[in-house]
Amino acid sequence: MHRKLIHHGFRFFTGLCALACCSVLMTLIWAIVQRGWPAISWRFFTEQILLVGADGGIFYNILGTLILLATTVVVSTPLALGLALLHGVYLQGNRWRSHLTLLIYVLNGVPSILFGIMGFIVFVHYLDWGKSWLSGGILLGLIIVPTVTVALVERIASLPSCYIEAAAGLGLRQSQIIRFVILPQSINGLVTGTLLGLARAAGETAPIMFTATIFAGATVPNAVKESPVLSLPYHIFILAQDSFDPSVSAKIWGTALSLLGIVFLLSLIALPARLKIHEEAHHG
Amino acid sequence: MAEPILQTQSLTVTAGSRTLLRGVSLSIHEKQVFGLIGPSGAGKSTLLKCLNRLLELTPALKVSGVVRFHGESIHGPTVDADALRSRIGILFQQPIVFPKSVFQNVVFGVKHLGVIQKSALPEVAEQALREASLWDEVKDRLHQPALRLSVGQQQRLCLARTLASQPEVILMDEPTSALDPKSTEAIEQLIVRLKKTHTIVLVTHNVRQARQLADQLACICLRDGAGEVISQGEPCDVLCSNCAPEIEAYLAGG
Ligand SMILES: Nc1ncnc2c1ncn2[C@@H]1O[C@H](COP(=O)(O)OP(=O)(O)O)[C@@H](O)[C@H]1O
Ligand SMILES: [Mg+2]
Repeated sequence: MHRKLIHHGFRFFTGLCALACCSVLMTLIWAIVQRGWPAISWRFFTEQILLVGADGGIFYNILGTLILLATTVVVSTPLALGLALLHGVYLQGNRWRSHLTLLIYVLNGVPSILFGIMGFIVFVHYLDWGKSWLSGGILLGLIIVPTVTVALVERIASLPSCYIEAAAGLGLRQSQIIRFVILPQSINGLVTGTLLGLARAAGETAPIMFTATIFAGATVPNAVKESPVLSLPYHIFILAQDSFDPSVSAKIWGTALSLLGIVFLLSLIALPARLKIHEEAHHG
Repeated sequence: MAEPILQTQSLTVTAGSRTLLRGVSLSIHEKQVFGLIGPSGAGKSTLLKCLNRLLELTPALKVSGVVRFHGESIHGPTVDADALRSRIGILFQQPIVFPKSVFQNVVFGVKHLGVIQKSALPEVAEQALREASLWDEVKDRLHQPALRLSVGQQQRLCLARTLASQPEVILMDEPTSALDPKSTEAIEQLIVRLKKTHTIVLVTHNVRQARQLADQLACICLRDGAGEVISQGEPCDVLCSNCAPEIEAYLAGG
């Protein structure tokens, strides 16, 4: 009787935790949609900032964030693939493997403001790029490398070793096994990890505020040096300091809603691809 | 007798401080079926994987001793392990088909060896499937997922995949123990036929199968926790000998 009580009590408690998380998320989404929706219009997405954010739209902010995210993927994918293969294939049975795991987790724990400062020292000053979209993309890419790597490593580790044995037994070289057996079956780890990472990167402000983004006046970058972009999170950050003006306040929530929209859209775009990969892996 | 195609001399496999196989010396002759019997856990699969260096995929296991293929050590400095594995194919207990089409599975190995033109692959696939007595059953569904085949068909598909690379030796690790009687019979008939062109090392749990198919037989049993070859020779001699108590216990038990 007593044990049953504990059992039910614990189940109730775990349900409560889920409920709490859900309601926080729902409240957040509700608050953003409710306040941001009035700001949304065709003009909001197609025009540039006017009157220091009180009027106009966020076209170049969306474009800037998309440029940063695209660069992020280009930087994080090869690095994460390299680390995951090093971890899952080349360092198998090697004592360095646990050091690599540690490195990945340490990297994951580095506060993003430190990436910002490092970028400021290396890109802005040492390489003398000034503010550049490329520094921001590289920094965001480095920030999400651990997330992508861990997702990939888990997929590779869960790959039944019999597939690798069968391919090796046919005389395939290790590089061919990686290319034709390991990667095809773990690619959805890469997709999932990149999405999780991008969702986080889209909202990061600290690493890009000294290195890549400005509040107004940037359009499409056409070089590396002195080529900043506008971005959604930095826009929110700056406007929020000036939110007493009701017309600005509506724009903040509109921008927040757009950022949320981009993150959801990213997941939606990848959903069919993920389902398809899933299907192939299980039904040939 | 002619020089054996495969030969092991005092082959020992250790995992840390534990010995899995001790002092295995075997001679396997060309175009014969060499049977290996013994209780589970005796190290039969481990021994088989030594013969084509597949054990190297498991870094925890260390191999010492000599394995010769056509008289030359397979651990020699000039030997390419990948090339060796394409000449000594292996078939596992469970059929391992890739989540691809039947055709893609058959050519999976040979396609990547780089010795065959892409345009010749369909022909190679057909020939391999015919050799594995599977062609008639799958010729209309070559581009369907291989995972939809029955387990028995999958095992013959794996055999076809190995045959497509034209190996000289085929290592078979209990190839019928996951199959129904009909599929088992199909594989057994194939073994008899393939013996004319290939050397086969057949691990089996089935004494009847060993007696029927093997030209030479070795029995591996556990002694002091490590697998050792207790007797080898003609199947009837090995199976009838009452010199080793382990064999009698094994035969009585299964
Ligand atoms: N990677 C490994 N590390 C340690 N021990 C292993 C490993 N692989 C197999 N073994 C051990 O080797 C022994 C022989 O296994 P195996 O060759 O599969 O036997 P069999 O095929 O005769 O049933 C078993 O006791 C097994 O536990
Ligand atoms: Mg076995």
